[in-house]
Amino acid sequence: MEGMMNKIFNFFLSFVLTAFFATSTFAATKVVWWMESDATTDPVVQEFFVDAFNAEHDDIELEVVFKEDINDTIRPALLSGSGPDIFDTPGASYIKIYQDAGLVKSLQEYADQYGWQDKLLEWAYNSGVFNGELYSIPKNYETMIYFYNKTLFEENGWSLPNNLEEVEALAAKIKAKGMNPYAYGSTGWQPTHEHLVGNYFNTYAGPDNVYKALIGEKKWTDPEFVESIELLRKHMVDDGYWSGGLETYYSLGWDDFNGEFVNRESAMLMIGTWGFNVTATNFAESSDDWDWAALPILHPQAGDRPNYQLATGGTMSVNAASKNPEAAAKVIDWILSDRARVLSVTGQLGYGAWLMPLHYEDSDFDPNIDPRQKRFLTEFAEATGSGNYGYTTWTFYPNDPGVHIWKDMEVVWAGDITPLEFMEESQRLWDKAREDDALVPVGKR
Amino acid sequence: MPKFLTNINAISWYFLMPVLFIHFFVIAFPSILSLLLCLTDWNGFGKINYVGLENFEELFRDRIFKKAVYHNFIWTIMFLTIPVIVALIIAYLLTGIKRGQLFYRLVYFFPYILASIVNCLIWRYIFHPKHGLGGWFENQGIDFLSKSPFAMKETALYAVAWVDMWHFWGFLVIIYLTGMYQVDESLYEAADIEGATKFQKFRYITIPMIRPIFILSLIIIIIWSVPTFDYVYILTMGGPAYSSEVVANHLYSQAFQRMNVGYASTIGVMMFFYVGIIVGFFALLRRLGWEV
Repeated sequence: MEGMMNKIFNFFLSFVLTAFFATSTFAATKVVWWMESDATTDPVVQEFFVDAFNAEHDDIELEVVFKEDINDTIRPALLSGSGPDIFDTPGASYIKIYQDAGLVKSLQEYADQYGWQDKLLEWAYNSGVFNGELYSIPKNYETMIYFYNKTLFEENGWSLPNNLEEVEALAAKIKAKGMNPYAYGSTGWQPTHEHLVGNYFNTYAGPDNVYKALIGEKKWTDPEFVESIELLRKHMVDDGYWSGGLETYYSLGWDDFNGEFVNRESAMLMIGTWGFNVTATNFAESSDDWDWAALPILHPQAGDRPNYQLATGGTMSVNAASKNPEAAAKVIDWILSDRARVLSVTGQLGYGAWLMPLHYEDSDFDPNIDPRQKRFLTEFAEATGSGNYGYTTWTFYPNDPGVHIWKDMEVVWAGDITPLEFMEESQRLWDKAREDDALVPVGKR
Repeated sequence: MPKFLTNINAISWYFLMPVLFIHFFVIAFPSILSLLLCLTDWNGFGKINYVGLENFEELFRDRIFKKAVYHNFIWTIMFLTIPVIVALIIAYLLTGIKRGQLFYRLVYFFPYILASIVNCLIWRYIFHPKHGLGGWFENQGIDFLSKSPFAMKETALYAVAWVDMWHFWGFLVIIYLTGMYQVDESLYEAADIEGATKFQKFRYITIPMIRPIFILSLIIIIIWSVPTFDYVYILTMGGPAYSSEVVANHLYSQAFQRMNVGYASTIGVMMFFYVGIIVGFFALLRRLGWEV
């Protein structure tokens, strides 16, 4: 009887030990990714990235946790040495801070291993390189353009402006018809102002001058920048180009100004390329047609053809405390390696999210893609590929000078300080950021 | 059993300990840390460098901080007058209502239980230049509220304060009403016999008798005015052109937008000292024999 009991016990023990080791040996490595939550984006990401990845892989299990205000939640997690394997950030200026604090892992060895430099557009890859090593990968790229009501333009015989004189002449014609030249507003998102500042820097002062100021070869107080701000002040305050005047601009939110544009209260909408989706959706219910164009050059010093400002809308990085960095890198590489899948995902999101800066080819595009959207993607790639690009404040400015741009622009519009005083403060904050080694990478032009 | 475990005086401390423990880690420890951080240039993540009193020097040069302090002062004055006066009058009038009083109390108190975001959205729509009152007046051919008061630098602070006061005054009505119900009814009866008017009864009986609760409400208003943040943040984010910027808003911007955590701690320390002075002032009044 005792022998029998021993046999049963030995069998049971062997079974338990085998099960334990088998589970330990063959269990998939779990990779957790904290991602900024968005009601529209989340289900698409879950289905086409997370579920698709898990279906293809037995060795890694990807779990995405969608978080509200990721920037606030990731901070304490990283500081306490915990948090996910992969996490989102709003942009390069945050990565710089994390990198200084040793909270993000260098991805250089994985970039070399998987050839990420060849997969990403050069400027986008460089935006994540700090002290010669890659720390972040852009999740999305965007630029500033303007949409216009094509039907309205055709009815009135208006043509697209190419220079400052034509912009002002067109604005006068639109206002004479009782409409506003542009729809826009800042309620709910004060940093909207920096879109306009960046537009004027890049189309009036010009991207070459902006680049020199970013790397410290020029002063932000130089006349071309001060004049850019003065021109923006004039167009906003004196001429009331945006939604009829400064106070209305301050009072309108996203839905308001998009509604104003589609309802013919404004003829144009100067906005980032994230506006494609909502513009297409709104105009689908209207009898009017829409199209887009690159921002016109306002001064010859800005070049002789329109430029596209570079911007990354969010990045992904690997936590320095991650226990599975190899698996995390494998997840990232899986996403970067399939351009058609990325285009399919971003296409479902109206190209407003997950438009990763990859080298897309004609065959990658869905044949049903809106030709206007496709024209943007190809023209942007061509223009930026040939070095014809500008710089957005939210991608290439350190935190303090960046916040100054959108917080203090209101003070210029209010007439409390002059454009020169505004740029003097900008220069002071840039000097401080340079002294503190807080600058973000700007690829060589 | 050890004597200290059964000591009747110590038992209450044992029950208080969990709360004290949480309080230490959630309030006291970060506060002490903040006192130290104000002497550094910490950005919230990386290396902490000692900078001495540099942040304080910067603070006294900071025009936005000075503006924010002034706005907090205006804010406090507004809250010490308008809602207090209105709440006192309404509470006194309510004491005379026998039927339906509960309905009025509920109506007045209702905005206080609404989340600040809800209150703000309601008023943002009311003052919306196209869809709110301004749009309605425009359709009637009247140029009134055609610009949102939140969007004009001359009115933004007052407009935000208005919304916050609208939410807050019902709370004051309830606490004043509670105080008024504590007043001995025989005092009013005696006043009636003497032929006192309603105003005289209010001035010479009600006000003196509710003084402790009244002073408490003033202390609450002064202290709560210091960290005021949510209504400003939601409605104007301190704009336009810092015209509604308050100290807590400036602190938030420095800490979480500009990543100047050391400097933000300096602002926090100044707020802490200011509240300390207020509390000390009222404690002094109490020691001098005032019923506060």
